[in-house]
Amino acid sequence: MTGDTPGAEAILELDDVTVTFTAGPPLRRIRLDAMRHVSLSVAKGETLGLVGESGSGKTTTSRVALGLHRPTSGAVRFDGRPFPRRRRELAGRMQAVLQHPHWSLNPRMRVGQSVAEPLAVLGRPVGDLVTEMLGHVGLEESFAARYPHELSGGQRQRVSIARALVTRPDFIVFDEAVSALDVSVQVQILNLVKDLQAEYGFSALFISHDLGAVRYVADRIAVMRSGEVVETADTATFYTAPAHEYSQRLLEAL
Amino acid sequence: MKRLDRLSLGGLACLLVLVVFALGSLAGAGGDPDAIVGPRLRPPGPGWWLGTDNLGRSMLPRVMEGVGTTLLLSSIAVLVTAAVSATFGIIAGYRGGYLNELVMRLVEVLYSFPAIVLAILVAAVLGPGQVAALASIVLATIPLMTRLVRAAAVAVSQRDYVTSAVISGARLPRVLGRHVLPNVAGTIAVQGTYALSVGIAVEGGLSFLGFGVQPPQASLGVLIQRGGTYMIAAPWLILGPGVVLVVAILAINVVGDGLRDQLEPRETRSLT
Repeated sequence: MTGDTPGAEAILELDDVTVTFTAGPPLRRIRLDAMRHVSLSVAKGETLGLVGESGSGKTTTSRVALGLHRPTSGAVRFDGRPFPRRRRELAGRMQAVLQHPHWSLNPRMRVGQSVAEPLAVLGRPVGDLVTEMLGHVGLEESFAARYPHELSGGQRQRVSIARALVTRPDFIVFDEAVSALDVSVQVQILNLVKDLQAEYGFSALFISHDLGAVRYVADRIAVMRSGEVVETADTATFYTAPAHEYSQRLLEAL
Repeated sequence: MKRLDRLSLGGLACLLVLVVFALGSLAGAGGDPDAIVGPRLRPPGPGWWLGTDNLGRSMLPRVMEGVGTTLLLSSIAVLVTAAVSATFGIIAGYRGGYLNELVMRLVEVLYSFPAIVLAILVAAVLGPGQVAALASIVLATIPLMTRLVRAAAVAVSQRDYVTSAVISGARLPRVLGRHVLPNVAGTIAVQGTYALSVGIAVEGGLSFLGFGVQPPQASLGVLIQRGGTYMIAAPWLILGPGVVLVVAILAINVVGDGLRDQLEPRETRSLT
């Protein structure tokens, strides 16, 4: 573990987290460590990029960070406090933009309803926030009345971002949020994320197998390989002088 | 939204005619189904357009009443099935684990009995009559619908909008009611039409065996059973209700196929 800086100002900390999946009958049980002694921290206002090949444990890491999966061992702290037993206590403080633009929005709900949902869940007034958020992500007010199948992939991902931002969360996970989009649309969305981050000051965990995209938005990079974090470094350092042999191989392949 | 295709529209038209038929019987059109209007076992003719039965009652109002009884009974049963299957199928599909296993094993036990055997069992316990027919249809249609709703719910539960709702802190009723149910509604509607045709067949079979609707009230099954006795001497007694039964089941299945083509969510298809 190199270059990790767990400070008091971290919004999210994973401390020696291991997640083991088991399957099969008791005596011939198959065990798989999706995460092995992973320690990561995301400082306030920072974007941590998490890269790695398929099956390296990126998605499990995001599920643990979002409280959707309890670690087998290790601790998760949000804003300096251990994760609450009921993740609803953190509702509205963390959000996610997930990978599949096609299924990120409920096809039976209008865009406006989707964007307003996190507020409705918390019982907060909606007011003009939907229009305002759509404006922030570059969509006209009229989109609120549309259904997802009328939107392009990029537009849907903009709506997902609006939905994630509407509760002004402290922390957002982007799990392969741009991977399914065209390259030109990817750049637009990445720029949007950067602009919004400058404006709202949220911290982010940006997960992707695309080193180029991560370089664009991340302040620091963590590299995962078969469940372990092999290197953590500042983005500039990482792309110029990767320390770990696996990181070097990844960068050569770029 | 695309319109139903021509075949389904035809099926829908047939169904509408049958419903109008049934409603007409309630309004007294066609005459009193229990009134004796002429000689016994007469072939179709003026005064008795579908012939007369062994007591000299005109078959036309009896078939009209029978269609109404059968359709009403099956429809109520299918609504019950839809409610039960949707509830258990969605919860089992979303939650998984032991609850899922329990629901699925129970459903498989039900599934392993032929519908008519189940129906006879129910009639033996509850006593023959409309309630037994209703309960039989429900028991016969629950297994398939629950399994299919569950399968759809499993697929929907893994989609990102459900995860996003959970991350936002949505509670179970909201996740299931707002996100899962609307996206499996198409499956429920399509299976509902198939269940309706199964229901009509089960009612027919049960009443035919004498465990369902009891005479003098007419249902398609009752009429066919009575008609069977005089099949050689008066084939029109079985022909009228028989044809109506076949038309009803065919029409409902055709409408169901059309609904499936239209309602099954676009996003589950690989090609648009």
